[in-house]
Amino acid sequence: MEQKIHLFGLSHKTAEVEIREKFALTGFNPVSLELISKDGPVYEALVLSTCNRVEILCVGNQDQEQVKGKVLESWAGFCGAEKDLLSRHIYHYTDREAVRHLFTVAASLDSMVLGEPQILGQLKDAYRKAVEERSTGVIINRMMHKSFSSAKRTRSETAVSSSAVSISYAAVELAKKIFGELDTHKAMLIGAGEMAELAALHLLNQGLKEIMVANRTLERAQELARRFGGQAMCLEDIFDYLHHIDIIISSTGSTSAIIRARDIREVLKKRKNRPMFFIDIAVPRDIDPDVNQLDNVYIYDIDDLQEVVEENLAGRKEEAQKAGEIVEQEVDKFEKWLNSLDLSPTIVDLLNKGESIARKEVRKSLRNLPPDTDERTVQTMEHLAESLVGKLYHEPIVFLKRRAREEGSSEKYIDLARKIFNLDEEQIPDNPHAEKKRK
Amino acid sequence: MLSFRILDLTIALLYLSGAITFVLGLIYTRKKVQNVSIWMTMCGFVLHTADLGLKYALGLGEVLTQSQFYVSLMAWTLLLIFFLLWWRLKLNFLSLIAAPLALVTFSWSLAISPATLPIPGILQGLWFGLHIGSLFISIALLAMAFGAGLAYLHLDSKIKTKSRMGNVTKELPSLTTFDRVNHWAVLAGFPLFTIGTFSGFIWAAFTWRTIFTWDPKEIFTIGVWLIFAWLFHKRATGGWKGRKPAKLAILIFILSLISFVGINFFTETHHSLRP
Repeated sequence: MEQKIHLFGLSHKTAEVEIREKFALTGFNPVSLELISKDGPVYEALVLSTCNRVEILCVGNQDQEQVKGKVLESWAGFCGAEKDLLSRHIYHYTDREAVRHLFTVAASLDSMVLGEPQILGQLKDAYRKAVEERSTGVIINRMMHKSFSSAKRTRSETAVSSSAVSISYAAVELAKKIFGELDTHKAMLIGAGEMAELAALHLLNQGLKEIMVANRTLERAQELARRFGGQAMCLEDIFDYLHHIDIIISSTGSTSAIIRARDIREVLKKRKNRPMFFIDIAVPRDIDPDVNQLDNVYIYDIDDLQEVVEENLAGRKEEAQKAGEIVEQEVDKFEKWLNSLDLSPTIVDLLNKGESIARKEVRKSLRNLPPDTDERTVQTMEHLAESLVGKLYHEPIVFLKRRAREEGSSEKYIDLARKIFNLDEEQIPDNPHAEKKRK
Repeated sequence: MLSFRILDLTIALLYLSGAITFVLGLIYTRKKVQNVSIWMTMCGFVLHTADLGLKYALGLGEVLTQSQFYVSLMAWTLLLIFFLLWWRLKLNFLSLIAAPLALVTFSWSLAISPATLPIPGILQGLWFGLHIGSLFISIALLAMAFGAGLAYLHLDSKIKTKSRMGNVTKELPSLTTFDRVNHWAVLAGFPLFTIGTFSGFIWAAFTWRTIFTWDPKEIFTIGVWLIFAWLFHKRATGGWKGRKPAKLAILIFILSLISFVGINFFTETHHSLRP
């Protein structure tokens, strides 16, 4: 094959943020900026530009240096920066390595927070844009689709994305473990701080029924309550409301505990022992740790939540190994498909498939003939079936050969032929485009 | 008879596959496998229903005097209550208790000799409906509360002590859901237990002309009833939630099991299920 897959990139692992910013490719169009040209070394290209990662995936000719030169020139030129500086920081993968890297990125195994699924959405956006700009062809199209399905497989077959890896999410997960669905529950935010507000926001996103905000200054409480669509109150009044509240997020600047076990004992009586969950993000702590000794009361401080996050991250690393194995299997499959894009294997596959169908049908027909049918009739039937296959596939094979000769590259026709005759034996769902139609 | 043997073995096999598959689904955290296991148990349950119905219809009521039938009915009731809770609360997890318990109870019923018990005919219909029916449903509810109680205590201690949750624990439903199973089991189970117990006394009054005969089963049941009544009262009016009712439901179920297995089969009692 005359083509080679290339992947050039900068990521949080290889280049500091200043370099990534300098070489960001937002708005880069490979077609209008002539990275792809009819006679040039690059035939297909896709650009991914996020805050943690800038990558160009392309299909070019066999001359690696020529492709690299063209890509770096175009990239550095677009950013108005030195090509040498870019060259010092980028990584460059080809063929199998490039496919593996893309599948690893899509599965979020190369992300800053392992398993966080945002990158898949960013990749889908990048692909959508590339399709609109018509900068992709058979190979990148297939590669992207396979990277999405491979990422889906890693998510469903491993727990790499399943556990919360931020403090606020860990708090939400715990609340769900205690209360189940949160749509009938109320929370109270005592004091304000970035992390407490984030936790409150996550709780609201999970469908929390209502949130109350208490603060030393009523104005600040009102300001926050407006943001969360909740009710504001002074810090002194919290005990009048606590028996209605299921989740309490506290982060005041108080130097001593503002909620003690004896207060909560009274509150529990009023709320008939319905469970309460305290998230104490303040340092020093706002809630007396003895509260945890009471039945149906749970309290997590910032260190406890941090521990949960670290455990979850460790769990994700274990799962990442399994996910890596899935990626490797998918890379193998893709490579097999890629190799089949040469003309000869496709012709062989086509004829093999046809002959196997013919043999099967002949066997079936022979069963309907009387047992004393003579050998000559059997041979004639077999010959007829084989000739039919040869004749039926003659024209498509001649067509593929002619395209290869005249256009220099026949991948899109070979790919189409493989799809039409399902030479890769793929399982095709009954209605594969139903989702697209709904959109 | 051979066809009944084949039917019984098929039911037992379906319960066994349901129980094993569920454990595998839980260990490997595969929801689909768990669902398959529940459908297997459900197929077993449908065949079990047919099995009981046919035995009753063909035996024309004679089966009501066989201990085998009652043990099999106990297994069936356990699953009936499990499927009701599964349908209402979407609690796949209770299958971990329901399928193995049904399997053990049903297999046990197959091992018991089908010999006839000396059951007085008087008020048999009412005795069956009230005494056995309500007690069995109540015990099945307690079995579910037992499973939910164990899961509650496990999850509660994990959250309280902030210790690492394994994959199986992470898959568990919330504490509130388990507490709700306990709530239903106690609020529905206790009145049924009461009806079952006192209909027995009324039946005894007709049969032996005395309400209380100091039979070991009667004494034990009164003890269990008192503990159950305390739990019911605390749950309904005292605002008990969480650990305490979970622990008490576990205790009551264990006592009921001792009563059903230990007293009915191993002591001298007129409730004996020994052939």
